[in-house]
Amino acid sequence: MSKIIRTVVLVILGIIWLLPAYLLVVNAMKDPTTFTSKESWIPTDFHLFENFADAFALSGLGDSVLSTLLYAVLSPAIAVVVGAAAGFAIVALRLKRGFLWFVVIFGGTVFPLQMVLLPLFDAYSRVGLFDTRVGMVIIYTAISIPFSAFVMRNFFTGVAHNVFEAAVLDGATTWRIFTRMYLPMASSALVAIFILQATFVWNDLLLGLTLSQSDDIRPIITTLSGMQSTYGGAQMSVVLAAALLVSLPTVVLFLCTQRFFAKGLALGQY
Amino acid sequence: MAHQKTPYQWSARGFIAPGVILVAVLLYLPLLWTVFLSFTKYNGLGSPKWIGFDNYVEMFTDGDFVGSALNTVLWVVGTLIIPVGIGLAIALLTWNLGGGIWLRLPFLIPYALSGIGVGVVWSFILSSGGALDQALAVFGVTDPPRWLLDAPLNTVVMIIASSWQGVGVNALLFTIGLQAIPKEPLEAARIDGAGGVRLFGSILWPMLRPLTAVVVGLSIVASLKTFDIVWGMTKGGPGTASETLALTMYKETFVNSDYGLGSAIAVFLTVITLVASVLYLRQQLSPKKEV
Repeated sequence: MSKIIRTVVLVILGIIWLLPAYLLVVNAMKDPTTFTSKESWIPTDFHLFENFADAFALSGLGDSVLSTLLYAVLSPAIAVVVGAAAGFAIVALRLKRGFLWFVVIFGGTVFPLQMVLLPLFDAYSRVGLFDTRVGMVIIYTAISIPFSAFVMRNFFTGVAHNVFEAAVLDGATTWRIFTRMYLPMASSALVAIFILQATFVWNDLLLGLTLSQSDDIRPIITTLSGMQSTYGGAQMSVVLAAALLVSLPTVVLFLCTQRFFAKGLALGQY
Repeated sequence: MAHQKTPYQWSARGFIAPGVILVAVLLYLPLLWTVFLSFTKYNGLGSPKWIGFDNYVEMFTDGDFVGSALNTVLWVVGTLIIPVGIGLAIALLTWNLGGGIWLRLPFLIPYALSGIGVGVVWSFILSSGGALDQALAVFGVTDPPRWLLDAPLNTVVMIIASSWQGVGVNALLFTIGLQAIPKEPLEAARIDGAGGVRLFGSILWPMLRPLTAVVVGLSIVASLKTFDIVWGMTKGGPGTASETLALTMYKETFVNSDYGLGSAIAVFLTVITLVASVLYLRQQLSPKKEV
């Protein structure tokens, strides 16, 4: 097919693909008091920042944003280090039956979340972790570890073992070798995993739905879902503004780190 | 590689312990507990009562469950055809094309949205008298279908919404796959006069096969677990008409407090997912990598 036809087909498809995003932005800008669902395609007014402010006030979205930021930064950060430590133990320290332990950790990711929801809810309620920030950070960390261990094991496999042996000859402890050599060496892989996992945590619905209930603990997507049910009729444009606001961080992050992101995905797949 | 083990076994155990402990306590223990609960009658009060396979019998004879299983099959088939197919098409169309990065951009934007974000936008578009109906009215369609109210149409439109989101990442993965194809055989084929369909059939497709297996495997596993988009658009309704297995499990457990039945559905979903995973896990865990 000639290049011109290909370009034209892609442009048309691209425009179709952007239409829902256009509708989201245009309608998120409308004043809820004069909003009508009859003229969805036409921009009428610019009320976006007022709608953002309203969205923040409704359902405690503001508190929710701060909590979610905490979950999306802290949990993946802990998980990449824990995963890297596991990879280090298996590859550099040559842990006995290392592959078996690797399968044990990686196996944590192959079954659906539905399999753990109820016992987690039950156990969290009993030990006082239900509806707490600590509880949310712990579960998001645990969920992020298998993928992180998987990528880090792959990454460290590519490092020559005599790097480790040379450091041992210099008298370095394993802890020192890990923190001063292996972690810095893996920084690009660590960042790639961190970005993928932070996006996953930011977009999580199910764990938030199950393990939290109050406005300031609930993660942001769960709050958005609640807003949609409660205010979707009367204040549709505010809910759309909330959806836009909640989506901006991950969309911007993703578009800035596209290649990185795809590499991270590819790393996880081979 | 003279000796396999280093004298650092204790240190190694220390390094791997945090990962193993967190995964064991927060994922494996709950998993085993769910398997146990699936053989009991339990509503969170008192203690679970052993009833053998009754939950599983109830599950398979329940019309709602069968409907939900059929919807899930529809999701698996739909997300295999639409996002994987269009993703491959976009990758092929942008391949070796000036400005390919920019032409791919519109498809990538929705990928970073959450399922609920997609649900909010699409349920707004598809609402009765909403954006889509207004557009159709311009073309003289005055009596549009009730997009989200009639089954199986509601599941079909939700699959389209989900495809809108998922196409970009598949396009990106296929693009990376295409770029990894060595130039020489392509040049040779071109000189021989192969183009378009023949070039695709004889060279590109065979070389993309391993990657396609991965994309397809991921797509199947993800679609089996479909929850967020349906929650954001219909909550499984009207009634249970658009429920998926993941949603039915959630409702039975947390709305109806039938912990045993909910657990049985979770176990069923897991078994199906594991079977589907074998396809791509074999590639992931094999020591020799083909790509």
